Amino acid sequence: MSSSSGITGFKQLLRRTVLVAGLGLAMVVEAAQPIKIGYSDWPGWVAWQVAIEKGWFKEAGVDVKFEWFDYAASMTAFSAGKIDAVTVTNGDALVTAAGGAKNVMIIVTDYSNGNDMIVGKPGIKSLKDLKGKKVGLEIGLVEHLLLLNGLEKAGLNEADVSIVNTPTNETPQALASGSLAAIGAWQPNSGEAMKRVPGAKPIYTSADEPGLIYDVLTVNPVSLSTRRADWEKIVKVWGKVVTYINDPKTQPDAVKIMAGRVGLKPAAYLPFLKGTRLLTLEEGKQVMVKADGFKSLYGSTKIVDDFNVKYGIYKKPQDLDKAIDTSLVNK
Amino acid sequence: MDNTTHDYLSQSDAVKARFDKLKQREVILEVKGLNKVYKSAQGETTALSNVSFKTHRREFVCVIGPSGCGKSTLIRILAGLESYSGGQVLLDGKPVTGPGRDRGMVFQGYTLFPWLTVRKNVMFGLEMNGMSSEEARREADLWLELVGLERFASAYPHQLSGGMKQRVAIARALVNQPRILLMDEPFGALDAQTRCKMQAHLLDIWRNVDVTILFITHDLDEAILLADRILVLKANPGEVQELIEVPVPRPRSVDQLFTPEFIATKARLEALIHPPASIASDEVETVKPHMIRFTNVADNVE
Amino acid sequence: METTAWFAARQELPPNRRKLLAIGSFVLPILIWCLVSYVPFLWHPMVRISDPGAVDYFQADMLVDKAVFQAELETVQTQGGALPVGELSNPIYLPPPHKVAEAFYTGFTTPPASKDGLWLHQSLWQSIQVIFWGFLLSSLVAVPLGVLAGTYSAVSRLFEPFIEFFRYLPAPAFGALAVAVLGIYEGPKIAIIFIGTFFQQVLIISNTTRKLDYALLEAALTLGTSRLKLLRHVVIPGILPDLYRDQRILLGWAWTYLIVAELIGTSSGITWFITQQARYEHFENVYAAILMIGIIGLGTDLVLAWLGKRLFPWDKPANKQ
Ligand SMILES: Nc1ncnc2c1ncn2[C@@H]1O[C@H](COP(=O)(O)OP(=O)(O)OP(=O)(O)O)[C@@H](O)[C@H]1O
Ligand SMILES: [Mg+2]
Repeated sequence: MSSSSGITGFKQLLRRTVLVAGLGLAMVVEAAQPIKIGYSDWPGWVAWQVAIEKGWFKEAGVDVKFEWFDYAASMTAFSAGKIDAVTVTNGDALVTAAGGAKNVMIIVTDYSNGNDMIVGKPGIKSLKDLKGKKVGLEIGLVEHLLLLNGLEKAGLNEADVSIVNTPTNETPQALASGSLAAIGAWQPNSGEAMKRVPGAKPIYTSADEPGLIYDVLTVNPVSLSTRRADWEKIVKVWGKVVTYINDPKTQPDAVKIMAGRVGLKPAAYLPFLKGTRLLTLEEGKQVMVKADGFKSLYGSTKIVDDFNVKYGIYKKPQDLDKAIDTSLVNK
Repeated sequence: MDNTTHDYLSQSDAVKARFDKLKQREVILEVKGLNKVYKSAQGETTALSNVSFKTHRREFVCVIGPSGCGKSTLIRILAGLESYSGGQVLLDGKPVTGPGRDRGMVFQGYTLFPWLTVRKNVMFGLEMNGMSSEEARREADLWLELVGLERFASAYPHQLSGGMKQRVAIARALVNQPRILLMDEPFGALDAQTRCKMQAHLLDIWRNVDVTILFITHDLDEAILLADRILVLKANPGEVQELIEVPVPRPRSVDQLFTPEFIATKARLEALIHPPASIASDEVETVKPHMIRFTNVADNVE
Repeated sequence: METTAWFAARQELPPNRRKLLAIGSFVLPILIWCLVSYVPFLWHPMVRISDPGAVDYFQADMLVDKAVFQAELETVQTQGGALPVGELSNPIYLPPPHKVAEAFYTGFTTPPASKDGLWLHQSLWQSIQVIFWGFLLSSLVAVPLGVLAGTYSAVSRLFEPFIEFFRYLPAPAFGALAVAVLGIYEGPKIAIIFIGTFFQQVLIISNTTRKLDYALLEAALTLGTSRLKLLRHVVIPGILPDLYRDQRILLGWAWTYLIVAELIGTSSGITWFITQQARYEHFENVYAAILMIGIIGLGTDLVLAWLGKRLFPWDKPANKQ
């Protein structure tokens, strides 16, 4: 007993020393470099483009470099330690952490407000109609969670439907093939599915459960602790971004900037923005209060955590207190 | 069978005198009790068994024998391209250990370097042995003139006919001034006419150059036309059957094809290579006694 | 007088026929594409709605299956109400040639939409650089290794079994590792091109080297060439034209890895452009970009073939073409 605890103690001491030495080194090296943030094609993250093009980071006196990625590639880059922060869903933040790349969510950028949906083929009017039918979606991803959440509200459970594992970008074809009663997908795939199958309708969307999927900016803990002042400035810039996008006077300019990033016409981009509920710093602060249920980032993340463990995405529940840092928005 | 009026062993005085003189010359190549066994998955093949012979300086020796008797094996061992299982190969009294420029080789297939012009092909051996390219070029041009290809000096091999290619190959080997020139059926792939010209040409070269030639062929006329002596091998295992001194006087030409000496020598070679009694035992040469007829019986060609 | 039949095995055709067929090989597919795009009764399985009429879910510019449109039309006809109107159309995945041509042109003339965005030609240039460096680095190692393996059995026995194994591993699967080691910019992309090309390259080149007629080596040996000099003076010049041909084929191979390479690390290059445009269903841009890659690939190959003829005047196959 005593010897083993002795060893543990020694190990901890060693780890701490290494960590401190590492931090010191990181500080020296990183102070000179810009903070690197990976972002990808989701309206709540493309929003950062406004700050980039307006030069607000420079104004705030922080050296930030945003890198544009494919979503999966951005998580890989973060896991590999090549970027300091990345924009992901709260669920994926946990998955990344479980894989070894610990991270701290510091801002809730938005929640999906209808962009994620379960689309039923003509004749399927509600989730209740799915009983005993086939639903195509990617198992373990947010649409799966969305479906379970909806089924529960409709008084059903997972055993009442049969889930067909379908890659999200193939769901439109899958629904069109007629063998599925419904599919789960996010935009633009969900929209495409409805275009493809006339009469198909969303029967349950992320707008029905705001907060089921939160999108966040999550940061490498080393960077967060060594360059805290810089991160505080970045959080402030986010406030400015949301104000600019939400203000009807400046919104067209913001949409133009965002559409440019993804190569769309502003008019074509607007619907995607509408399916996303951007959160101001004030709103973010309220979301980041500890509580149960989807109103709170903690509650929502807890549900995703349970879901991930249940579906074997990772084995052990994550420590949510370490995964979320509310102090920056509260400052 | 004995319809020859002449014995291949009887030599005219001039021919005899020539042979006496030839045997006075120093021995260039000496092969003593040479053995070669190939080991393969199917078992062992004795390609050569106890082969011994000597060649003198400026002698022209032909090697002849049925297919598979080990002619190529022999010449490749002499060139140093193949190892041997027993016996000795001596060049100027020193054992042969590997390939070298003192033994030039002309192969049956075309082995000119396709990426080099005719002149560069001839220069190759010289340059590999450290001669400056200026000097090598001068030498090469001399030898190209000897084989009558100076006009093609800057052509690439693929632009030459088969006979021309072999002439370049001869020049390429001779430019190194080897002690012996080894030739493995060099004219085997040529048509009869070109072949005839090449034979005359080779004799011309041989007359003008201080070189000993060991020449493999399966063409009896060619062997008699070219050789001072003919080494006859038999197959399974490859053994020396006879070393024949060719009684046909020199200088040689195709006009001698029907002289009694020529006919007698050829008859002897025929008898050695296709012995009448053993035809049946030679599996490869056997013709099926009852050949299936693939044509209409009425459609007779003879 | 017909001297050559159209179909004579391994016989070259006269130049005018060759030219005709070469033009035909491009004109035919384009013709088929035009027919399918512009002749309404060929294929056209969809209807593009121009007036939704009384069908509640129809919208202007919406594409629906022909059968669905027909069914709705009949329903409206029996129940009364404004009839929906639309015209036959192909699926969005097959834009007509003129749209693609237009996209091809505007692709180069449209400035980037965002400040840090790139012009199309800059994206293309990024891709070309990734290919260039990936292929160059791979060649720098693979060509010598392949030649050595083809020449010396010891080298071949040491390297080839592992390479034979490794070449089956999918190069894109090393994306995450490449990012971890080489960062997020060109490094990992070049690495994917490298991994995708290298192993095939070693095997193909060692094989080419082994095909060199051994009699040439023997001839060189009998001319007094030392064994060390054989490699430089016989093997390498002997295989050069074939090696060059291999490299041309392998370069094309490298391009096929570009699409996965450019999804690794930061998004960049022409295939990223393709992925992004496909996500938002701008298929005319997708096809325009595919065309660009094709033109660059074919163009490079033609230039290299032309160069090859001049570099290797002794090479028969190249000369006889
Ligand atoms: N590499 C080898 N491995 C095994 N056996 C061999 C090899 N090379 C030759 N042999 C055998 O050695 C014998 C002699 O072959 P060789 O090629 O020397 O005959 P040859 O007299 O030149 O025949 P040809 O007139 O047909 O050229 C043959 O029985 C052949 O099968
Ligand atoms: Mg032979």
